[in-house]
Amino acid sequence: MTRATPTEEFRLTDAEFERLREYFYKRTGIQFTPAKRYFVDKRIEACVRGSGQPSFAAWFSALRVGDRPEMLQALTNQLTVNETYFMREDYQFDALLDPVLPRLLAEHARAGRPRGPIRILSLPCSTGEEPYSIAMRLLEEWPEIDRVDVEIHAADIDSDVLARARHGSYGARSLQRVPKPWLAKYFRSVTAGRYQIEDAIRGAVTFHRVNVCDTHAMRVFAGFDVIFCRNVLIYFDELSSRRAAENLFGALRPGGYLMLGHAESMSRISPIFTPERLPQGIAYQRPTGASA
Amino acid sequence: MTGVTGPSDAGCVLVVDDAATVRMYHSRLLAGAGFHVEQAANGLEAVESALVRPFDLYIVDVNMPKMDGYACVRALRGETVTTTAPIVMISTEDRPGDAERAYRAGANLYLVKPVDAERLVRVATMLAGPPAGARER
Amino acid sequence: MALVRRDSTTAPDDDDPQVLGRRLTDPDAEIRRRAALGLDGVAEAVPALLARVPVETDPAAREAVLTTLAALDRADVAAGLVPHLASDDAALRTAVSGALAAMPASVPALLPALLANPDHDVRIMTAMVLADLPHPGAADWLAGIVATDTHPNVVAAAVDALLPMAGPGHVEVLAAVPARFPGDPFLRFTIDAALPALREAPA
Repeated sequence: MTRATPTEEFRLTDAEFERLREYFYKRTGIQFTPAKRYFVDKRIEACVRGSGQPSFAAWFSALRVGDRPEMLQALTNQLTVNETYFMREDYQFDALLDPVLPRLLAEHARAGRPRGPIRILSLPCSTGEEPYSIAMRLLEEWPEIDRVDVEIHAADIDSDVLARARHGSYGARSLQRVPKPWLAKYFRSVTAGRYQIEDAIRGAVTFHRVNVCDTHAMRVFAGFDVIFCRNVLIYFDELSSRRAAENLFGALRPGGYLMLGHAESMSRISPIFTPERLPQGIAYQRPTGASA
Repeated sequence: MTGVTGPSDAGCVLVVDDAATVRMYHSRLLAGAGFHVEQAANGLEAVESALVRPFDLYIVDVNMPKMDGYACVRALRGETVTTTAPIVMISTEDRPGDAERAYRAGANLYLVKPVDAERLVRVATMLAGPPAGARER
Repeated sequence: MALVRRDSTTAPDDDDPQVLGRRLTDPDAEIRRRAALGLDGVAEAVPALLARVPVETDPAAREAVLTTLAALDRADVAAGLVPHLASDDAALRTAVSGALAAMPASVPALLPALLANPDHDVRIMTAMVLADLPHPGAADWLAGIVATDTHPNVVAAAVDALLPMAGPGHVEVLAAVPARFPGDPFLRFTIDAALPALREAPA
């Protein structure tokens, strides 16, 4: 039996680990292998202690009932990487450059809009690393960027992080994956170790304060070609995540793409998107087709 | 996508069922017969797994949340995945017309739970070929 | 550069519940879908939303109807959804069970009738609802099914749902299962696999 007393070492039994593993997989679709055992034990210990419950069994029993969504949120928080930084999960930006943008551009051209605009939404944008990363990748690596108009919109529920995003200054940790030539080209040093992204890029991103679960508020977004919604849906309970998925669906144009975080899946959330295999991984499409 | 491992050139089976106990039961039976088995907890996860790697055989439950078995089979057969691999639907239900519905969706076979262990292995071997593990015996 | 900034966001749509209620039957599925979402929290729309459940042909629109209904965790909604658990349409019955599984306030009152339903398929769907219903009584209701239901597939569904939440207090009722259904290899296998860990678990 695992008790969370301060003097005793906290360790899950094999049976407890299995139960937790199965429960987390069932709820989120995320697997963690037995190889991550030590890491998981530490994180669960933090959850149990933080909850005030006397033991793993009591904590897990309360978690399992499901009537306190904040418990699963806290667990998910512990078990996933939450940090934001430039070029995070950039294989998805690779996917954007190829094959997503060429496909979208071909569709726009067929519809008589060879110059776009292509509309991209980053939500949640947090402190801005994601939309600014997209901007730099497009400017540096998309051959069509001089010929085609691209709108980048960014949204978050938190006005403080939005203020920081608009301001656009970052420290070394956030910037460590930015190629040095790009740092020199697109940022200027503001204080020791902090850099601010240049005005032209800051000015090119439109920021909005929006809650993805709020259907009325999300109505401001429509006809987007690509939405990056990474590492937020996983924290929502059943009904909130369903509503968020519906709102994201409505923000896309038919044929538009939704990118989730690399460990996330729509499989526990909503069947309304069509999964699409890209070379870099799975993305989701709003279906095209008759609306009868 | 949990794996119950078998020999690397064994037939690959995807067991799709929202019930963890059923997944475990069917996985053990098939792995015991030499198949490499992976699992999916609902139809949507099954489609995503199928997009990432092709399977030689799908065992698909009917009543699952988010995407039921028939919709899953239609997606596997249709534009999303377009697999021609054999699909066995296994159901707790035995309503009139269920088997017909399964074949129309694109399944090769429709079985009703509980499925006899030997029958499942026989069916899997018949549809997906003898697995490498079994051949070596 | 061609990163352009435009105020291209759209003005919010009509919010009048009367208008949205009429749009639930619009020929355009996207209009129906948006109308259902827009009726979030509108109790007066329940009859109109419930009416769409069995007839809505567009999957995304039906999801939207159920998402809005499930959030209105009320007796009239639950009572209106429960009959569809008996549907021959697998997509409909599983979508409805997903909605009911998110309604812990209103589903319990309907459980006695559901658990006594003569159709074993309905009892199986009820076990599926209980597997996910965020209610502290779920384990007890499931244990009741395991103890008394006469159909092996219903008991199997209840066992699967109960095991993740089971404790040593459930050992007896689970251990009795194989003897109640001697011809069922799955139940034997599952109970034999689960009991040892359960016997050792803390109370």
